[in-house]
Amino acid sequence: MSEIAGKLFSWVNDRLPIVNTFERHLSKHPVPSKVNFWYLFGALASVVLIIQIVSGIWLIMPYSNTEEEAFSSIEYIMRDVDYGWVIRYIHTTGASMFFAVVYLHMFRGLLYGSYQKPKELVWIFGCTIYLAMMAEGFLGYVLPYGQMSYWGAQVIISLFGAIPYIGESLELWVRGDYYISGITVSRFFALHVVALPLVLIALVFLHLVALHEVGAGNPEGVDIEEFLDDDGVPLDSVPFFPYKVLNALVGIGVFMTVFAIIMFFFPEGGGYFIEMANFQEANPLVTPDHIAPVWYYAPFFTMLRAVPDPLGGLIVMGSAVAIFFVVPWLDRSNVASIRYKGIYSKIALVLFGVSFLTLGYLGTVGVTEVRKTMSVICTVIYFAFFLLMPVYTKYEKTKQVPKRL
Amino acid sequence: MIKSLCKRTRFLTFLSFLLTIFFINNIDAAEGGPCKDYGDCDKFKYSLNDMESLQRGASTYINYCYGCHSLKYSRWGRVAKDLQIPEDIFFENLVFDKSIKPGDLMTGAMSDNSVNWFGVAPPDLTLVSRYKGDDWIYSYLRAYYEDSSKQYGVNNLVYPGTAMPNVLLSLQGNQRLVCKSVPVIANNGGEKRDENGNTITNEKCGFLEVQEGTGELTKEEFDTLIYDLTNFLVYVGEPIKATRERIGWYVVFYFLIFTALASLLYREYHKDYLK
Amino acid sequence: MQDKDKTRRKVLIGLTSAVGLSGLPFAATPFIAAWNPSAKAKAAGAPVKLDVSKMQFGQQIQVSWRKQPVFIIRHTKESLASLQLTLPKLADPNSDLISEPYKGLFPTRSKSSEYSVMSGVCTHLGCAPKYFPEVEPKSWDATWSGGFFCPCHGSMFDIVGRVFKGVPAPTNLIVPPHMFEGSILTIGEDKEL
Repeated sequence: MSEIAGKLFSWVNDRLPIVNTFERHLSKHPVPSKVNFWYLFGALASVVLIIQIVSGIWLIMPYSNTEEEAFSSIEYIMRDVDYGWVIRYIHTTGASMFFAVVYLHMFRGLLYGSYQKPKELVWIFGCTIYLAMMAEGFLGYVLPYGQMSYWGAQVIISLFGAIPYIGESLELWVRGDYYISGITVSRFFALHVVALPLVLIALVFLHLVALHEVGAGNPEGVDIEEFLDDDGVPLDSVPFFPYKVLNALVGIGVFMTVFAIIMFFFPEGGGYFIEMANFQEANPLVTPDHIAPVWYYAPFFTMLRAVPDPLGGLIVMGSAVAIFFVVPWLDRSNVASIRYKGIYSKIALVLFGVSFLTLGYLGTVGVTEVRKTMSVICTVIYFAFFLLMPVYTKYEKTKQVPKRL
Repeated sequence: MIKSLCKRTRFLTFLSFLLTIFFINNIDAAEGGPCKDYGDCDKFKYSLNDMESLQRGASTYINYCYGCHSLKYSRWGRVAKDLQIPEDIFFENLVFDKSIKPGDLMTGAMSDNSVNWFGVAPPDLTLVSRYKGDDWIYSYLRAYYEDSSKQYGVNNLVYPGTAMPNVLLSLQGNQRLVCKSVPVIANNGGEKRDENGNTITNEKCGFLEVQEGTGELTKEEFDTLIYDLTNFLVYVGEPIKATRERIGWYVVFYFLIFTALASLLYREYHKDYLK
Repeated sequence: MQDKDKTRRKVLIGLTSAVGLSGLPFAATPFIAAWNPSAKAKAAGAPVKLDVSKMQFGQQIQVSWRKQPVFIIRHTKESLASLQLTLPKLADPNSDLISEPYKGLFPTRSKSSEYSVMSGVCTHLGCAPKYFPEVEPKSWDATWSGGFFCPCHGSMFDIVGRVFKGVPAPTNLIVPPHMFEGSILTIGEDKEL
């Protein structure tokens, strides 16, 4: 019996590179031997991606994408479907956790220069994934057709209206109606469950292929490829299996614990993960008292609000995301890791982090004069971090990077 | 050296983050809360395992609220089952329309022209505890006061100009806004006194007080009634909530065990290259 | 590596895998359970009540229970007496091949001596058989003494839904759980069952 199975396997393997691919990209793939917890978020992001896909498929089944039934079908899932609440909370918690993990993953990139040559493409694919995620998250948030879904979508779609000449007709075209109606929900549904997930999966694949070509980085910014053993394997590396897998397993355990705590005890996340107003069905005639985006868009929403002119706001918001793409060419430092960069880089990164968090907070609360000033200041710091990068990374005193890990 | 620098950077980040939050939160306090003229909402702590409270709340809801406010995502039989009320007793005492089956939704007992009576259609309240919050409901239902300028002779501190009459008036009694002499608080936190040692008082208005003898219930009894009612609305907003929290403990416990084992295993293998 | 370390590793691998794998059934539960009929489906499939006292003798009516036809027939004394005549034609006169809820109670196969209650779904491929109460030669049976004939594949049943020999349908028509409270018939629920 096992002989037949073995024969069948080798027959397939002769025609499909199973063993080779498995060894090259999984079991024997060399990874740096010394990394810290910051290097776990990539693995966690792929775990959440799988969680989102599976729970998403199960949510499609009872969900109804019509104007009349979208909202009540969510309550149907929460009440009438056996364990429907588990599946929905997995998906809502997963959405927030996806962004949390990806933000940390991106910050790791800034921290240890994970975008530097030769990893530019890895970084660019990553930024594109983030962009696709933002779209995916937005589209998904419209589907329950609650008050926040409606008015959030109203605000975002109105942004298209700020584009000169074509804006208004573009707005109408995206909605397919004079307000955000059943057809809009239906379109967003198709994009959310089919189109964008396909794009995301393709991008994640490219992200990983590119990464495996150039090799994973490490917090020291050391190129481990320089010292190889007799077999051509880097001396400062360990095989992916079992070492990296076990490392990731610990990360996944911690992550899932946090996930479970949120999902079972704070699924609304104090109104940040599922906003309170979204428990009211969409009403095109009544705007909720307080419109705030979900937390993961909040920093960009604040930037949009900080600029008085809608088109200007749109440009600022768009640039805030777009600027990530050119980071590999903004950083002129001769070292990768923050550990060996100079004091300017350190200060810049701290200021950037603080301003990003502050922008995020400001996006979830109402506007006052003080807050408006603060959001302008933080927006300026945000952009200064990127735009001044060529200067401060070039003219600061860096430390000598060791040869080995 | 590197390590200490790294730590310093981290510390700096943390500190500035804390400062920012502190700064912003201070501004936050200046804003009006969701309970409007009432001030801060009264805190509500739900107890979804207190079946008697939920049963009393359900009974109050069906007797006083259900006439106008449907619970259209909730099913009769589910409420009876979750609240551990035997189905025959439940249907005998709480379901007035005898054609209703246990699987039916609680779609309300009101005809469509109700909009005309109140100016607005009474909203469905299945999810009210989720979009208004339990604190708000608990405060709102206790904040009615006499105001002859309004259509139903009452107004509400939490929701000024509310379209809903005080349905529970006969139970609570006639609540009015009164003025009181309150001691002035000195800078040191104690009461301010004049030269003779008498407490200096100030007249302050906006206190809610029930006219004695006008209601069927005492203040405590009425508060309990509203507590039970709010508790029921929290239940009906998310019927699975109590179960969810119970299952949660097992899941978290499971993942903690898993994490502990995985990290022991990881450390064991880590020895291979930790030289 | 020392033997002690090896054992430790083996034990830890075993424990971690055991804990990890034991979580799988629990993780799968919500996803499997979500495919059960929902509360809405169950409410729609709730028992059906109707008053059968207004039915005429020999009349057959059809009600819908769980979106499936259910046949109710009020038999005359003569037709019940004539059940004996069809006995030789039947494949399973005592319903031994299926789980019959009210086996041996009445010749009607129901909980009543007068009414028959049976699912109107042919046990062959799910068509709805038609009721032909007349005792007269039919194109499908020259000695027809009343019963059901399925237009899809020609299966035949007697007036209480018992299947004939030599037809495609393998078993008698199914009798759903039901009860009579006076003349009120409830289909889909039987408090005594």
